[in-house]
Amino acid sequence: MPNNSTATTPASTPAAESQRNAALPGAALVGENFLAAPIDGASAHPRNFVGRVMSVWYRHVRVYSRTLISNALPPFLEPLIFLVGIGMGLGQFVGTMDGQPYIQYLAAGLLITAAMFTATFECSFGTYIRLEFDKVYDGMLGAPITANNLLLGEIVWAATKGFVFTLAVLIVAMTAGILSPGWILFAPVIGFFTGAMFATLGLLMNAFVKNINQFNFLFSGLISPMFFFAGVVFPIENLPRAAQPIAIILPLTHPVRLTRALAGAGWSPELWWSILYIAVVTAAMGTAALKLLNKKLVD
Amino acid sequence: MNTDIIEVNHLFKTYRDTRAVDDMSFRIEGPGCFAFLGPNGAGKTTTMKVLYGKAKPDRHDSTQLSVFGYDPRSSELNIKALAGVAPQDDNLDQELNVLQNLQIYSRFYGLGTSQAAARIDYLLEFMELAERRTARVRELSGGMKRRLIIARALLGNPRLLILDEPTTGLDPQVRQLIWDKLRSLIKTGVTILLTTHYMEEAYQIADTIVIMDKGKKVLEGAPRRLLRDNIEAYVLELNRPERKDELLGMLQSNGHPEIRVEDSGERVLYYAGNISHLEDLGSHLAPDEFLVRPSNLEDLFLRITGRRLNDAQ
Ligand SMILES: Nc1ncnc2c1ncn2[C@@H]1O[C@H](COP(=O)(O)OP(=O)(O)OP(=O)(O)O)[C@@H](O)[C@H]1O
Ligand SMILES: [Mg+2]
Repeated sequence: MPNNSTATTPASTPAAESQRNAALPGAALVGENFLAAPIDGASAHPRNFVGRVMSVWYRHVRVYSRTLISNALPPFLEPLIFLVGIGMGLGQFVGTMDGQPYIQYLAAGLLITAAMFTATFECSFGTYIRLEFDKVYDGMLGAPITANNLLLGEIVWAATKGFVFTLAVLIVAMTAGILSPGWILFAPVIGFFTGAMFATLGLLMNAFVKNINQFNFLFSGLISPMFFFAGVVFPIENLPRAAQPIAIILPLTHPVRLTRALAGAGWSPELWWSILYIAVVTAAMGTAALKLLNKKLVD
Repeated sequence: MNTDIIEVNHLFKTYRDTRAVDDMSFRIEGPGCFAFLGPNGAGKTTTMKVLYGKAKPDRHDSTQLSVFGYDPRSSELNIKALAGVAPQDDNLDQELNVLQNLQIYSRFYGLGTSQAAARIDYLLEFMELAERRTARVRELSGGMKRRLIIARALLGNPRLLILDEPTTGLDPQVRQLIWDKLRSLIKTGVTILLTTHYMEEAYQIADTIVIMDKGKKVLEGAPRRLLRDNIEAYVLELNRPERKDELLGMLQSNGHPEIRVEDSGERVLYYAGNISHLEDLGSHLAPDEFLVRPSNLEDLFLRITGRRLNDAQ
């Protein structure tokens, strides 16, 4: 039995070595010569941790980009339609919000809701389909990655989508002259961490749902209300006093606050709380999700 | 330290209230083909899953597991770096084509782009899928999908290939093709561990078979030797059970103690080491009422468990 130190230097066990050597003479005997096929002994080592997580990420990039248009267009268009419909239409009556044109106020918030929606979808419905319907995880776990590597890959992938969707909305908003370049160019970074946070939420829900329809509770019960009560459409200060503490607990509130700072509100020390909130909530939900979903991935 | 490829001692696995694997022990010493044979629900898949860390065995003090010297409970990565796995269910990416399915997996094994391209070319050629390289998975036949899954399991150039029912549901030609491929892999020193419902498959390619039933190992050995040692060489199948009493009377009066009768209700089987005894018996029957043939693993399984191999639990 290997102890821990031999376990981290793979393929050095006697059994593995003798197999490797024993295989070579046999290979020379057959015309097929399987071992002569190009490979640099890659089979001897599992990849390092980052490599394993990113190989899962790479899988998602490849699969997703196969059907880019149908996958990416609707979630990209939605915030734009909202921006035009509400921002321009209703905006005429609202005038200014928090001292800025309403459409500008709204646009800064929509940068982040785009990330929230895409990441939550990816790691709720998307993960469930991969897990229960397509069974792709069963195949992937036959390759040298662990269940935790796989789940972290899901989170990094959803975070990447958060980055990209925030960036996409940002580009449109800047092209249309609604937002002007400046600190706001860093918003996709917030989109990334927003994506990661909502990915862990989606994964955590996967540990509890009994069928795919139950994700509708997540969306109508939490995600959609957050769209209205987390400072995207109007400031949470305008909520009834009693409702304000609830708004502060909502996960969406904090990346939106950070984005408003970038959009011109400027830095203030209480934003450290928002950064801390995102870090702690992501870590806590992520840890719980990994622990619970491991039981679904490993019998 | 030992040089066995796989050593399993006292493996138990329980799902809620189902004992899927019940005190399994086996060893695989050298290159070759090792087959698990057994009816539905025997625990074949579960045993495979434990070996590559997909299922956690029950905690049990006597359990010992070793694959290439690594314990799958703590070192699944090291094992999977040396072993290729083709699971029982089809879990290819339906949206992708043949090539892309392999490209995705090449990253798990740490192959760079050009390395992967060369390796994939080779494997597509080897599994005779080269012409279908740009076909979507859903355009493939069942046999092609199976071959693609095997090719995928070979990406990391494994020393051990774990195949869960590689030929179930395939037509005889494709099955033959897959057996040929597996044989040529074995010649290069790859060890193959497979599960099957087909006794013919086990007989054709396995050096050693383990017959499982209800989570337990009921027999283990080389297929020909198992048959030789455990069951009479020939069998007469009686197609008309209503004639069994008549035959029984005949057996008793003629004094044929070397004929053993196995009566499973709708079918009656008469076993004997000497074919002439059975031909004797057959001479009392019309030609379409019986069949005399060599006995096989199915007969052996029936003898040991009292059930047919394809019976579900
Ligand atoms: N994930 C699971 N949860 C609960 N029970 C399970 C699970 N997987 C297997 N079982 C049960 O464990 C037993 C053994 O199943 P297993 O899949 O190992 O059998 P098998 O020999 O591979 O059968 P088959 O030939 O049908 O593939 C069965 O009774 C099955 O119902
Ligand atoms: Mg099975």
